[in-house]
Amino acid sequence: MIELVQLVKRFGDLTAVNELSLTVGRGEFFAVLGPNAAGKTTTIKILSGLIKPSSGQARIAGFDVQTQPMEARRRMAYVPDFPFLYDKLTPAEFLRFTGQLFRMDEAAIVKGSHELVARFNLEAYLKKSIEGLSHGTRQRVAIVSALLHDPEVIILDEPMVGLDPHHARVLKDILKEKTRLGMTVFISTHQLSVAEEMADRIGIIHHGRLVALGNKEELRRQSGVDGALESVFLALTMAEANLLSDHTHAPTSKPQ
Amino acid sequence: MSRTAAIHPLRLLLQVNLRQLLRRFQSTAVQSPLWVIMVVICTGGYLALSFWLFYRGLRFLETFPGLGALLTERLLFILFAFLFILLLLSSLVISYSNLFRNRETAFLVTLPISRETIFQWKFIESAFLASWAFVFLIAPLLAAYGLMRGVSWHFYVLTILLVGMFVVIPSVLGSWFAVVLARYLDRRSFQVSCVLIGLTLLSVVAFWPQPEPLTEDMLEVRVLAILDQMLMQTRFAQFPLLPSYWLSSSVLHWAEGAFATAGFFALVLLSNVLLFGFLCLTYTGHFFYDAASAVQSRNSVFGHWIFGRRHKPSSSSPWPAKGGLEKVIGWLPWLEPDLAALIVKDIRIFWRDTTQWGQTLVLFGLLAAYIINLRHFSTQLTNAFWVNAVAFLNLGACSLNLATLTTRFVFPQFSLEGKRVWILGLAPLGLVRAVKTKFTLAFSASLIVTLGLILLSCRMLRLDFTRLSYFAVAITIMTFSLNGLAVGLGAIYPNFREENPSKIVSGFGGTFCLIVSFLYIVFSVAVLAYGSPWVASGARSVSVTLLCMGSFLGLSFLVGWVPFYWGLKKVANFEQT
Repeated sequence: MIELVQLVKRFGDLTAVNELSLTVGRGEFFAVLGPNAAGKTTTIKILSGLIKPSSGQARIAGFDVQTQPMEARRRMAYVPDFPFLYDKLTPAEFLRFTGQLFRMDEAAIVKGSHELVARFNLEAYLKKSIEGLSHGTRQRVAIVSALLHDPEVIILDEPMVGLDPHHARVLKDILKEKTRLGMTVFISTHQLSVAEEMADRIGIIHHGRLVALGNKEELRRQSGVDGALESVFLALTMAEANLLSDHTHAPTSKPQ
Repeated sequence: MSRTAAIHPLRLLLQVNLRQLLRRFQSTAVQSPLWVIMVVICTGGYLALSFWLFYRGLRFLETFPGLGALLTERLLFILFAFLFILLLLSSLVISYSNLFRNRETAFLVTLPISRETIFQWKFIESAFLASWAFVFLIAPLLAAYGLMRGVSWHFYVLTILLVGMFVVIPSVLGSWFAVVLARYLDRRSFQVSCVLIGLTLLSVVAFWPQPEPLTEDMLEVRVLAILDQMLMQTRFAQFPLLPSYWLSSSVLHWAEGAFATAGFFALVLLSNVLLFGFLCLTYTGHFFYDAASAVQSRNSVFGHWIFGRRHKPSSSSPWPAKGGLEKVIGWLPWLEPDLAALIVKDIRIFWRDTTQWGQTLVLFGLLAAYIINLRHFSTQLTNAFWVNAVAFLNLGACSLNLATLTTRFVFPQFSLEGKRVWILGLAPLGLVRAVKTKFTLAFSASLIVTLGLILLSCRMLRLDFTRLSYFAVAITIMTFSLNGLAVGLGAIYPNFREENPSKIVSGFGGTFCLIVSFLYIVFSVAVLAYGSPWVASGARSVSVTLLCMGSFLGLSFLVGWVPFYWGLKKVANFEQT
């Protein structure tokens, strides 16, 4: 469902993503972890079509996000860490707008929204202006609008930021249910507990490179640390940092 | 999931944004009726006053025997030519920020909306934002022209259509320039290029015109020669490939009843609008996406700059050494460290925001160019009345420039701290001292500019020391008052929710600040001129002069100190709660 092939992104002298290759299958819950400025958000921006890669390819459901952008975007949804919403609209109007952009008819929009709105406790806010909503409520509206058209792939960048524990749980439940139905989830997070609890596979990005990939057990083996994901993560990223400080021009490492 | 016959995304975007606009108006009307009344009165006042002035001006031109029609015609050509250039620049700047610094654009790029459609929507939005003020500015002129020529109703209909078509061309060119610049220049280079181009143009304006030195005797006998020279120098406005030429020609010919010629120019305009519009709406989307990606892909605005690299920290220590600014501020022994830190921070933010100093530079640069040009005319200003009139008008122009800048940049300062109020509010510095420091900094910086310009103006007009001192004291007091007003009202009417300073200014407090500043300047210049001992042929009575000076000082205190004092009180209360 998601394919990254030798993806490279340079910002001037800085290589933010360095020959990243990765495949995420249908119905897979994939979490990408990494320290700050590791290249997670850049990868997501390339996947969502916000920026062009310097080289390599990114494909969603088999469609190249650069050369076949419309086909790719019709099959995906993207929730950034600080989503954009039209301030003067109500959540109901915003959901109708995004639904129409995905060519949904009114009945489908109402039906699709109904359950999601109820699960995220948004009924009371549907007719209120978005500008008056709290950050968490806005985040919930953005998540519902992303899920509304039942995408084949959903990309989430730090979706739990601003969500209270109850709604974070709701989101996790929905994502798990959707993956069972075939939706692919690609999530970037600093909350290791989310990755540990939810992800089928985890990728750890550091200095723009995929330094580890696999399920929890495989990551433990790769790191040589038999403990919680936090210990595994620290071991892998610290080892990588040490490696880089030892070799200024470290070769590109490939995931095992 | 059931799908429906697709509504075109452009239509959806227009619907959503129109709804947003309507709601914005509605909420403003409900939340700030006073602001709405104030804006309506000011708008109506501007339209009525400018209509009257244009009408009187055009009537005056018509009275020139044998030349009235020619001068009016040339005036319209020049006006539209300059408006074309202004609209082009305005469109360039608005398109750049709307296409490449806009959250909605980034949101739309991730949705199933084609790049062409995103560009189409952003082009329509930018064109509207760039041109509404232009239409607002020229409407009274065209109405006055129509009235003066006694035209039929269809003149106004055609003029509206022509102006509507005309604005498309600079909007298209502006958006293309924005796309090209975004693709190949980083933000810093773009801003600095704009400022450099502006400065070059200003230099040309300041030093290019070299009028022939004339005496008053020559003026009386060589009016035709002077007019001829003036018409020669403004011929550029009648360059046949300028869209403003097609617009002006069509408007003028229609007013004269030469409908066939007017129709020809209207069709020339229409065909160009269709060509440029077609190219813009169909082929630019792809280039826009490339440019948007390039903008997002730049490492640092300083990254490619030699001076940026030069100041990179040495490998031994990642911590940068103190900059030159910190060292200079550190030399001021009376300045306490916390206030010094605040001043360094404010100066750095001002300097790094090219919009702020760019606008300041352009506004005061234009004034400086004009004042430098006074040297060509000062020898001709042998009449004391005109010397004084020009000196007072310079005082007014300088203050008006300052008022736009204090309203635009000083007024929102406290509101902008709102988001970061925990830094200042929780520091031992205290908000009251912070606001006082902001006032002192704004006053000192603006005084250097305004005082410099007024002294230059006096020098160019060859005024004696007494009059020079008079104007210097006047501009110092006015600079104090305008800054006090902006800082005070900024603290009284803060907007902590908004991060965009231009939106903070467009609220009630900002509008009120601008109007009060304007009224204060008009009143001050009037009483300073009326009470000045040099204007009247005979000396004014001492009591009149004292009354005028007293009124000026009293009003300056009222406008500058009182809002500043109330602002400080409000900040103190805010800090305690």
